[in-house]
Amino acid sequence: MLKLLKQVEPDKEKSPFLHTAYDAFFTFAFTPNMVTKGGVHVRDGMDLKRQMVHVVLALQVLYLFGTYNIGHQHFVALGEYTGFLQGAHLKLVYGLVKMIPIFIVTHVVGLGIEFYYAYKKGHGVEEGFLVSGALIPLIMPPDIPLWILGVSVAFAVWIGKEAFGGTGMNILNVALLARVFVFFAYPTYISGDEVWIAGIEKAAEGGYFGQAYGAVYGVFDSLFGSLGLATFGDGGKAVIDGYSGATPLGLASKGGWDAVTQSYTTGQMLWGTIPGSIGESSKPLIIVGALFLIITKIADWRIMLSMVIGAVVMGLLLNAWGATPFMEVPWYYHFYMGSFLFAMAFMATDPVTASSTSTGKLIYGFLIGFVGMIVRVLNPAYPEGWMLAILFMNVFAPLIDHYVLQANINRRAKRLQAAMKPAETAAAPAAAEAQA
Amino acid sequence: MEFLNTFIKAAFVENLVLAYFLGMCSYLAVSKSVSTAFGLGLAVIFVLGITMPINWLINEYLLSESGLLGMDLTFLRFILFIAVIASMVQLVEMVVEKYSPSLYSALGIFLPLITVNCAILGGSLFMVSREYNFSNALAFGLGGGFGWFLAIIAIAAIREKIRYSNVPPALRGLGMAFILTGLMGIAFMSLMGIDPAALTAGK
Repeated sequence: MLKLLKQVEPDKEKSPFLHTAYDAFFTFAFTPNMVTKGGVHVRDGMDLKRQMVHVVLALQVLYLFGTYNIGHQHFVALGEYTGFLQGAHLKLVYGLVKMIPIFIVTHVVGLGIEFYYAYKKGHGVEEGFLVSGALIPLIMPPDIPLWILGVSVAFAVWIGKEAFGGTGMNILNVALLARVFVFFAYPTYISGDEVWIAGIEKAAEGGYFGQAYGAVYGVFDSLFGSLGLATFGDGGKAVIDGYSGATPLGLASKGGWDAVTQSYTTGQMLWGTIPGSIGESSKPLIIVGALFLIITKIADWRIMLSMVIGAVVMGLLLNAWGATPFMEVPWYYHFYMGSFLFAMAFMATDPVTASSTSTGKLIYGFLIGFVGMIVRVLNPAYPEGWMLAILFMNVFAPLIDHYVLQANINRRAKRLQAAMKPAETAAAPAAAEAQA
Repeated sequence: MEFLNTFIKAAFVENLVLAYFLGMCSYLAVSKSVSTAFGLGLAVIFVLGITMPINWLINEYLLSESGLLGMDLTFLRFILFIAVIASMVQLVEMVVEKYSPSLYSALGIFLPLITVNCAILGGSLFMVSREYNFSNALAFGLGGGFGWFLAIIAIAAIREKIRYSNVPPALRGLGMAFILTGLMGIAFMSLMGIDPAALTAGK
């Protein structure tokens, strides 16, 4: 098999672009077994590509759950199959039909730009987009128009990464940059309530109704029908009464915790069967991913821990202040809502854009938690703060590193001085004795 | 409390560089290393913090119709403001030259050029158009200066870091600085819209 693949390898001189593409997929599929034996060189196959693949692995459960949840939310809004496992085949198919185009567009656009630059600069395709490409679909609303997705990915990869010289050089997190681009450039597509649930449209008179199912669903309908299972039907049904589709955070900013619990139970928020971005909603699955990353030492526990501490400190301060209903939401409930855990596990720990010193990581994480809570609770313009807080601290991460390094240099200089002094005083009597 | 509100607003929410894009010339030119950026940032904090209250006094007691001269002399505003700023910058320049010659030579022409740094004149004019009182003017001066200081040392640290990056040749130097400023502006938009005054009013 390996031989066969080696045979089809394009000639680097004759067709550089094809060779670049070939090389990218080849090293993705096979770990190079060239490992240095002696000295202080790299001793195992844990190269950048493997490291990135670990993150992608940690995200797989979220993909599964997110896809299913798209369908689940859709049917709950219509008042059909409200049990989590009822109509599972319909929900799964519905989620897949929404999810696969998002995934494909992200990768075609992002990898396309990546491949082009790799070919242009004449090096192998860098693996950075693996993680960004896996993260971007998870932080988008399920109903995002695909052209907006494409534009935002292009912006993030082009301006956010390639302009800086490619993987490992970027200052701001690429996945977050893509989302923030949608957020500021097309605010109605990401901050409105209805986009968080797929296939629900706002009617002209203000009510919501389900979209008609397209031809794709017809194919599945005939399949399910022949198997004797429930089918999609025609669609276009009205949404059940009193269904607003607002996310917990949207409710909390208006009416505090009481308003949230009227619509969602804490159990729903914990397990994630609520509307939201595709991958952010299920807390236990995110924690599993986070633990996986900590155990494999891909992500740094310092950032996660200090980010939790920062959020708790700010949450307590806000509780003590308590000027608006949102500020009075007890600090521990903040972990149920929104994307705190997702941001903590997968966004803040990005080793490229975070601080790289250990002390710096603690400060960096703490400030993300702190600023994120400020944006979430105090800023009326934005419902959620982690994305912006992380970008904000990405900007300051090099500065934190700079001062941590300076402090280290100063401390060592002092220690050196302190060590020199006794040595001098010890040396002086010895010298005196020698003279005598 | 009002003092603090204005300070926070000027420093973070309505950052002079990253929200209004004022004072770009020295911001882009002196942000190559953190230590010089730090020095220039301090100079700007000082100049803004001093000139704003002085300009407020001038505007209130000399230029306005209710002032000491009893005439509407607001057409002299620009000249007088610039004169105050220039004299303050001269003061800073002499101090820096005396106590930190290395910083003085590193800043070079950009130290006297603080005079025409639009962030500073802009700050004074914002103060007039927003009708701040004296303590607010002081807070706005210090806060605006602090925001400028933060922005310049942040971009200086980033530029020190990307010196080792493989930036496309066409973008090296200024091109990159412009892209960075834009991206930093996006990051600072996270705080835009927070109104400290409204929050304390709700209390």
